[in-house]
Amino acid sequence: MPKVKSNGTELKVDLTDKEITQIKELLNREPSITEWGMFDVMHSEHCSYKSSRPKLKFFENAEKNYDRVLAGPGQDAGVIDIGDGYCLAFRIESHNHPSAIEPYHGAATGIGGIIRDILCMGVRPIALLDPLRFGTLKNNPHSQWLLKYVVKGIADYGNCTGIPTIGGEVEFDESFESNCLVNVACIGLGTIEDFNHAPSRAYHPGDYVILMGGSTGRDGIHGVTFASRTLTEMSEADRPAVQIGDPFTKKMIIEATIEAIKTGHVRGLKDLGGGGISCALSELTGEGGTGALIDMANIFTREPGMTSFEIMLSESQERMAFIVKPEGLEDILAIFKKFEMSHAVIGRTDDSGVLKVRDGENLVVNLPSTALSDAPTIQREEKSPDYLDALHKQKTPEPTKELKEIMHALISSENICSKEWIYRQYDHEVGVRSVVKCGEGDSGVLRIIGTDKFIAASVGTNSKHCFLDPYEGAKGGLVETCGNVIANGARPLAMVNCCNFGNPEKPESYWYFSKALDGINDFCRTLKIPIVGGNVSFYNEDEVKNTSIKPTPVIMIVGIIEGAENIITLPFKKPGNDILLIGETKGELGGSEYHSVIYGTEGGVPPKINESIIKATWEFLLELYSKNLVEANHDVNKGGFIITIAEMCFKNKLGANLDLTDSNVNDLRDDIFLFSESAGRFVIESATKEHDIIMEIAQQHGVLVRKLGNIIPEPKIIVRGLKENDIFLDVIKLKELHASTLPDLMEI
Amino acid sequence: MTIKIAVIQFPGSNCDFDAVHVLNNVMNVDAELIWHNNFKEAHFDGCIIPGGFSFGDYLRAGIIAAHSPAIDEARVMLKDGRPIIGICNGFQILTEARFLPGALLRNESLKFICKWVNIKVENNKTAFTNRIEKDSVLSIPIAHAEGRYFTDNLNELEDNDQIVVKYTNKRGEISEESNPNGSLENIAGVCNLEKNCIGLMPHPERASESILSPKGTTHGKLFFESMIEFIKKRGF
Repeated sequence: MPKVKSNGTELKVDLTDKEITQIKELLNREPSITEWGMFDVMHSEHCSYKSSRPKLKFFENAEKNYDRVLAGPGQDAGVIDIGDGYCLAFRIESHNHPSAIEPYHGAATGIGGIIRDILCMGVRPIALLDPLRFGTLKNNPHSQWLLKYVVKGIADYGNCTGIPTIGGEVEFDESFESNCLVNVACIGLGTIEDFNHAPSRAYHPGDYVILMGGSTGRDGIHGVTFASRTLTEMSEADRPAVQIGDPFTKKMIIEATIEAIKTGHVRGLKDLGGGGISCALSELTGEGGTGALIDMANIFTREPGMTSFEIMLSESQERMAFIVKPEGLEDILAIFKKFEMSHAVIGRTDDSGVLKVRDGENLVVNLPSTALSDAPTIQREEKSPDYLDALHKQKTPEPTKELKEIMHALISSENICSKEWIYRQYDHEVGVRSVVKCGEGDSGVLRIIGTDKFIAASVGTNSKHCFLDPYEGAKGGLVETCGNVIANGARPLAMVNCCNFGNPEKPESYWYFSKALDGINDFCRTLKIPIVGGNVSFYNEDEVKNTSIKPTPVIMIVGIIEGAENIITLPFKKPGNDILLIGETKGELGGSEYHSVIYGTEGGVPPKINESIIKATWEFLLELYSKNLVEANHDVNKGGFIITIAEMCFKNKLGANLDLTDSNVNDLRDDIFLFSESAGRFVIESATKEHDIIMEIAQQHGVLVRKLGNIIPEPKIIVRGLKENDIFLDVIKLKELHASTLPDLMEI
Repeated sequence: MTIKIAVIQFPGSNCDFDAVHVLNNVMNVDAELIWHNNFKEAHFDGCIIPGGFSFGDYLRAGIIAAHSPAIDEARVMLKDGRPIIGICNGFQILTEARFLPGALLRNESLKFICKWVNIKVENNKTAFTNRIEKDSVLSIPIAHAEGRYFTDNLNELEDNDQIVVKYTNKRGEISEESNPNGSLENIAGVCNLEKNCIGLMPHPERASESILSPKGTTHGKLFFESMIEFIKKRGF
């Protein structure tokens, strides 16, 4: 790492030599040590997106192209107008490196950070979702330890703040063993007026800058630069760079902030996250076109003797910066007093365009407001990995086991089994909005009290598919998450993403990132889904083992359902009803659970996405909903449609009598047909008398629909019409296998 | 005159808005969310101590709130016979404040548990169960990490009819499998000797609207209906 010097003090920085020269030229002097530290943090990959920005600029301008988008990429969270004067803010981000080192506090402070991002859009956080990835659990105490404490960290923090955790996603794969992925997502709900009150900018000179919340301590100093490096054995020594969360203070911050915004006196709002006070002040003034003079003496610290370097770079949790109109100062201070929150006026904005920080007589920071946010971009090289060709050529072996045995192995596999062990630990009902709860549907559905509107939200992707083909795999993640909200009756409205990739300085890792973003961009343009935000986490590697994680572009989708009667749920409801498969099943088993669980391979060709068929399928389903023709819906995901059907039988202990004679349109081998992971498919329940009308509508939309059979009252699944032997499955047995995997692995 | 009910908001309460929503919009009474330092008992016919993590559950769940001036105000209501209910963290506060007997310990699993359970009404002569038939089985959710009820005076509780609800299966049978947290005798809620104050670990405010209930039930409403009935009979 290069070193910089100022007044005899030496500092190791992650800046390149070129950046160091540019900074000196810009200022025309040697920066102070505090300023060096600020540049170091603000130019880190985490804050500046210097490797990813060249790709991100290809995303279309969501704010310009979609009326419903109120805030798009570059803001703390995406915000969309959902009608009736309401808006939704949502964002997803990673907290991978801290969680890999210290799972409990790493995950907890991840939740803390994402809550602040939503809060600073001026709205109340109302839901959390958590996509998680770990190494496989079996015989792996390290992965079990990570899962246990990440879940506990999320639960303890989320539950205490009174924000329900309404959904999530978990994948287990060896590549995440030492670099687990902890992504956190939050949704906020408010009025458009609330949103307009609180921009993350300081536009007006003469306003007061108030710091509110936790005190500034020595924890988390250089947490951001740590997140932009690869994990090594030395990383265990980085533990002090992981911040400690305090959900109780966070709860008070939420209430105090909401009350302050309602007064109309707040003119700007910013959370203190990565980069601490430096980052918040430079964004507020730099983007707002103002400057500010801050007096360090007014920043309340947790311990005496902290240097200006430590104060400006501390990433202590639970802090917010407010920009307040002069005439509203007393009212705002009274609110903070009511909630007994520590607070201080630390300075005022001005029209200088310069950010100045005073430490006694000395100006320790004296930088143009925009200097810190103008990190140069870096064009990285990309190259497709050599191993992919051989992987794509792998064929599905001939099954040596009975299909029933394979089915039992799949339903109890770590990736397909029930995640109840996890979501029981999350309060998913606080707020009295949760209508479709964890385990009851493909997405979480929340009501908006006082309206007849419902929010559906889902997160996910398939990292095994992305590993084989990042372009199609990233699209597949969109098909899957959009499919989840559609399965519950919603129309997808907007997306945000969280890109988790390896070291961008390696051309193969950057190629994965680049191709995945192309996939996201192409799909969203065609399907008219605005991209309203994103987060990029690079350097997810384990240098000791010299491995990179599987590429993981996690997608978050929110949709709206109009009217309670239009909410669709997953379980089969009535014996006698038809079971229909929507969409075409092809021999697409690359990166499938079938391959990895049964044969221990991950090759083959993963599912390809045809946007026009996807679009037709969505329109078809929405038309069926509008005519009340669907009783249950579940999108087809890992393990194929036979797993989907089993999951639909569980809740009401029903069964399915299937005859697949006419449905295998591509004449696939039995195992390939049953376990294919072709994207964009759904299994629906509908009344038998509606069959003809459904087929007619399907034809109009050009969507392939096949009747697979009927629901039966006995809890068994009978599969006839295969090329080989019929299969007879016991639903109660399948349900037990599905339910017991995680408790068996996690409870000693 | 309308019935006025206080929902006391401690720092860290988080089921406060939910309780106010149900009382105002489902039960159609006049409920007021009131910051703990501003609570004056004389203005109210009854009070609700909502769930959450008052004062962050620091030191021990409920103990800091139990020593607050707001609880001193509530004690006046208690002596006066007005109805008081503590839900979840509110129940923990009321046991710490000695309004109610016993204590709530860490769940047997040592984990937070959020799920719908069944409870059976053991005593329907309290301020919050007078509108429910004895032995009714109700569907209602729990969400807590410290809900394992314990007392060393079980006989006294039984003799005085202070056990209000117990965790059961859907047929109303008390069993180990239907005990979610290891509570003594499956106890989910108790009352004081005078029967005007109860504590419940389950959340009636989350079970008062059919859209929120997996089975479409509204059993939680019965506790609030009973409260309103009790206030009406007392006169307000």
